[in-house]
Amino acid sequence: MSQRVSKDELRQRVGAWIAGGKMVAGPVRVKAGTVLYAPLTKADTLLLDGWTRPANSIKEFVFPRHEALYGYSIDATGITLHEAAPDLRRQVIVGAHPCDAAALEILDKLFNWDYRDDFYNRRRAAATIVTLACAAHDDECFCTSVGLGPAAERGSDVMLFDAGDGSYEARCVTEKGAALWGAEIDRAPAGKRAEAAGPAPRFDPAEVAAFAKEHFENPFWREQALACLGCGACAYTCPVCHCFDIVDEGNPRGGVRARNWDACQFALFTAHASGHNPRPAQGARQRQRIYHKFLMYPEKFGEILCTGCGNCARNCPAGLGVLPLVSEICHAESV
Amino acid sequence: MSAPEGFEPKIVAYVCNWCTYLGADLAGTARLEYPPNVRIIRLPCTGRIDTNLVIKALEIGADAVLVSGCHPGDCHYSAGNYHARRRWMLFRDLLEVVGFDMRRLHFSWISAAEGRKFQQVITEITDATRALGPYRPYEAPARPFEENGSARPADVREKNFERSRQELRAAARRLLEEGKVKVVIGHGARGPVFIARPEETARLEWSAHSLANLTVYLKRPEVRALGAAAVVVKGCDERALVVLEKESQLRREELQVIGVACDGLGQAKCETCETHQPRFADITVGGAEAQSAPAAARYMELERFLEKPPEERLAYWTAEFDRCLKCYACRQVCPMCYCERCLADKNRPQAIDTSPDRKGNFAWQLSRAIHLAGRCVGCDECARACPAAIDLRLLNLALARAAETQFGYRAGMDPALEPVVGAYSLQDKEEFIR
Repeated sequence: MSQRVSKDELRQRVGAWIAGGKMVAGPVRVKAGTVLYAPLTKADTLLLDGWTRPANSIKEFVFPRHEALYGYSIDATGITLHEAAPDLRRQVIVGAHPCDAAALEILDKLFNWDYRDDFYNRRRAAATIVTLACAAHDDECFCTSVGLGPAAERGSDVMLFDAGDGSYEARCVTEKGAALWGAEIDRAPAGKRAEAAGPAPRFDPAEVAAFAKEHFENPFWREQALACLGCGACAYTCPVCHCFDIVDEGNPRGGVRARNWDACQFALFTAHASGHNPRPAQGARQRQRIYHKFLMYPEKFGEILCTGCGNCARNCPAGLGVLPLVSEICHAESV
Repeated sequence: MSAPEGFEPKIVAYVCNWCTYLGADLAGTARLEYPPNVRIIRLPCTGRIDTNLVIKALEIGADAVLVSGCHPGDCHYSAGNYHARRRWMLFRDLLEVVGFDMRRLHFSWISAAEGRKFQQVITEITDATRALGPYRPYEAPARPFEENGSARPADVREKNFERSRQELRAAARRLLEEGKVKVVIGHGARGPVFIARPEETARLEWSAHSLANLTVYLKRPEVRALGAAAVVVKGCDERALVVLEKESQLRREELQVIGVACDGLGQAKCETCETHQPRFADITVGGAEAQSAPAAARYMELERFLEKPPEERLAYWTAEFDRCLKCYACRQVCPMCYCERCLADKNRPQAIDTSPDRKGNFAWQLSRAIHLAGRCVGCDECARACPAAIDLRLLNLALARAAETQFGYRAGMDPALEPVVGAYSLQDKEEFIR
């Protein structure tokens, strides 16, 4: 059975989760015009009003941008390793967008493929996702082109639907969600409210994959990437980009081995120690990004590595991104 | 902070090989006693002491840092210490804005004959630092990502957009038709476009989205490969061309510059704009009616910020830098960041920690800023590009104000002036040096 909660009641719940020692995160306004998913210290900073797509994604809470894997110290007796002590409090991510929630199920496959990543899995197991279905979208949104939508429940534990009267209809989707919410799983089909209008489909991912397969050497990539400046804003704000680098940081007496985000648009990402770089320019790097999302990940894991959130385009200082690029592909192919 | 019982500070002294190091040597041979708290690191010349070394020392446990070299006029390499002095002047101004505890950073001139001065300086610094207590730079608890400062919306004056757009397209078409250039780097509907054929010039736009400083593309090999270029600039972007030319990064005569007169595109920088009208363009299009902002308005935001006590300033920057993802968008959009390999990408050994944690973020942000001191033209592209909305504009203002108040220099304003960095004056300020 679904439940009605007013905005105030929702904030009370959030306050109670925080007071109960959970790490609670949700959209927060950090500057005029900038909203980020961030840990909350009190319920009032949670941003619920108006449709705003945070400039980052919730992957940060299961796959942090920087994570110590273990520490080490060196003394006269030898080297001692220290277990990292990650923050493994129960976490609740509230006000997630459906395109962020769905990303976690996509990431689960990667982090549990040939190697089961404990760091990811522990955080993931500790997280409950309370998703707020989208009542609006902007020009960069394209969830409906990659099989999702404004009310997609994938990856969510609890779904909230804005009833339009200052209250939400809450629907517990998983056991985890039901436990958090203190209600039963709602097994009834989502019904009418799920038909909130999303963006009209903008392209067919199969077409992108087909183009990519045939056009590895096409000058298209170089031409499209001329404006790309080679920063990592797209990858770091993407809900599903997951590349990382492992570094040792320390001094002769000790330090940490840490895992930091990395991005395929950096020149250094593929640079060899010899100086050779198999992806020598942005054209090859942008091509890689599209190949990974629409060809390689689907071939390996059976699904597209993109949830259509549009963050890449919103955050790109040069106006690039997945949607602009694949729109060109679908356009180019029809020519 | 009061010092804990029995606390002995660690002082790192970066000294030059020819004067201060020999001064320390003389102190030793003369049996002059000084505290053993100092760790001396000998470098060829103060001119080679990167500010990153200062940050690094404090990062890994130093409680204070001394940088010391030859007296003015004594440099073994003629002018290394003069160059260093300038860099420290800018660096100190930057740290002041960041709210750094300036009592932990010391400078001195100590000659090879001044064993006694070396003894004195080390003793004084050690005593002062012992009283201050240990330096714990990154221990402040993480502040939640809550609203931290605010951005002011400004007016977009669209009146002349259509005229600019039409004249811009016509100018670009002419340049391509006459064969003067192979490519026009301009603004399209979404972002930068590279127009190679006259019939494509209709893709050129002029709107409130024409924000990018396109001069950044002039250094990119992919764009250079397209051949002779024309670039579309606003008056603010154009300042970058002046600096790039000064730094031998471009040949102005090989470049066509299409300047667009601009009334402002709604950015904070537009509020204090003094370059609505391009000054050095080969072709100027559009029209601007806005008046230059008074000089007094230039650093108002920064001056208000500087009214806060240092601890509050540091807390502000800590909260700002804590959001940094190290996506390097700030660096990549910067026309002045043209190094083929950035200091942050130097990994043999790693010059700046790659971790986007507090330590790594401070090291990166401070290094980036100091590398732009006296060079940043205030286009604020870094601030626009930052997905975490870090207040890089305020840092840019700090750099600009440092260059102007200390050296009467404004990057990219007057091509006749010598750049701040890479030059020096015998009259540069001294009073902060022992």
